[in-house]
Amino acid sequence: MTIRTFECYARARTAAAAMGIVLLMPLNAATAHHSAAMFDHSKKLTLSGTVKNFQFTNPHSWLMVTVTGTDGNPVEWGFEAEGPSTLLHAGILPKSFRPGDKVTVTANPMRDGRPAGALISVVTADGSVYRTMPGAPPASHPPIPKE
Amino acid sequence: MDRDTSKTYAVIAIALLATVPVGVFAQSSGPRNPGSTANTPDRPPANTPIPDYYQASLQSYVKMKAEAHGGTPFRRDTYGKMPDWSGLWSRDLSHGLKFDSKQSGNGFNVPLGPITADLTPRYKAAFEQKLREVASGNEWDQLSDCLPAGYPRWLTEPFLREFILTPEETWWINEQQSEARRIYTDGRGHVPDEIAHGLWDGDSIGFWDNQTLVVHTIRVIHGEYQRSQPDYSYQTSTLERIHMVDHDTIVDEVTVWDPKGLRTPWHVVMQYKRVTDAGARIDMWSCEGNNNVIRTASGSSQFILPGESVTVTRAYKDPDTFYLTTTQKKLFAQDEAEDLAKQGGKK
Repeated sequence: MTIRTFECYARARTAAAAMGIVLLMPLNAATAHHSAAMFDHSKKLTLSGTVKNFQFTNPHSWLMVTVTGTDGNPVEWGFEAEGPSTLLHAGILPKSFRPGDKVTVTANPMRDGRPAGALISVVTADGSVYRTMPGAPPASHPPIPKE
Repeated sequence: MDRDTSKTYAVIAIALLATVPVGVFAQSSGPRNPGSTANTPDRPPANTPIPDYYQASLQSYVKMKAEAHGGTPFRRDTYGKMPDWSGLWSRDLSHGLKFDSKQSGNGFNVPLGPITADLTPRYKAAFEQKLREVASGNEWDQLSDCLPAGYPRWLTEPFLREFILTPEETWWINEQQSEARRIYTDGRGHVPDEIAHGLWDGDSIGFWDNQTLVVHTIRVIHGEYQRSQPDYSYQTSTLERIHMVDHDTIVDEVTVWDPKGLRTPWHVVMQYKRVTDAGARIDMWSCEGNNNVIRTASGSSQFILPGESVTVTRAYKDPDTFYLTTTQKKLFAQDEAEDLAKQGGKK
C-alpha cells in the first residue's frame, strides 16, 4: 500500500503547534498490533478537552477528544490505547470516559505533528487518574550495530 | 530421499516406535472419544518421517519421551489427574515483549541490550539491518495486515490466554487474532511430508511428563520472533516444556532450532501470569474492527485519523510475501535460493 495524500496533514500540524503542546520527558509506546515508530516517545504532551467518544475495542481502543485551539477552532484529537482486556487490567472501563466529559490527557505525540498520540494517562473532572500502561510500554530496541 | 536421510529416518522411526504405547496404532482406526479435533480419522503414526532439518529437535523430543517412559497416559477416566491450568493467563510483561529472555532490559523503561541468540551471519546481518530501519522510523508488523503473530513469536504476545486440556489434545489460545495452537497428545506423529505445508502456528505433537506438557513443533511459516527481534526461517522447530510453577505462574521452557537462522539452539523461558480482573473474557478478536494502520511508501507504519482522506494504491498481494518487509523478503528469498542450489536447481 502507498499513501498518496494526507489532505488534513498540514492543517492538523498547524493546529498542534497553535495549541501550545507541553513537551516533557520520555517513556511510552504500546503493546500494539503495529509499529510504535509513528509516536515520539521522547516527548509527552498534555491537552485538555471534551470527550467525543471512547472506542473500547480490539485491536486498539481510541479516546477521541475535542480540543479547542488558541484560534478558537475545535480540533479532534485521537489517543490510542490498548484493547479491552489490557485496559480492564489497568482499571479503565468502557464507561470511564463518556461523551461530554471534561478530561486532561497525557500522551506521546505523533512524530509528524498530526492530532493524535499514544495514550499515557487521563485525568477526569473529579480528579480521578487513569493510567493505560501500569508497567510502562516498549519504546526501545537493541543497540544498533554500525554498517 | 538420499541414503543418509533414509538411515536417519530409520533410526528415528525405531526410537519412536519404542516409545509409543501399545495400542496407539490400533486406536488410529478404532472408535474415538467425541469432542475434539483429535476425533478425526487422520492420525499419522508416531514414526512418520519428517525432513532432516527437523531431526535435531526431534531427537531431543524422542529422548525426552523415552526418559518419561513414553509419557503419562492420561485418559478420560483419569482426567482429574491432569494439571489444572484453568483460568485466564497473560504474558508476564515485567521483562518486556522480547523473545530473548536472556537479553538485558525490557524495552519499556530500560533499553534492550544486545541479542543473545547465536545467529548465522545472514540472519545476523538481516537483524542488524532491521534495527537500522526501525531506528529510521521504518517498521512494519504483519499484525497490522491483520495476520496472526505466528509461532514462535506467538509465545511473546501479551493479552489474554487460555489453556484447554484434554487427554488427546491441548488448545492454547491467545485472544490476539483469536490465535490458537493445537497440541496433539494422542500419540500421533507429524503430518507426512507429502501433504504437509507451512502453518502459522506449526504442527505440534506432544506428551505429558507427569504435570509437564512436552511439545515438538515443526512446519512454521518464516517470520520474526517479535518486533526488534531477529527473524526465523521455515526450517525452525522447537521443543517446549510447559508447566505450572505456582498457582499464578506457568512457565514455558523453549528450545529453538533453525539451521538457517541459528548456529546453535536457542533456549528461552517464557512466563505467563494468572489474570483475575473482573469482567475479563476472551473475545473474538476482530482485527479490522478498529484498524486504521497503513504502510507508507517508505515502509513505515502510519494511521489514518478521523477527517483524513487517503488514497491508497492497492496492488496484487502475493500471499507468501505481501506482509514482509523488504529486508525479510530478501532474507527469505535467499533461503529459497539456498535450497534450490542444494537441490541442483530443481524445485
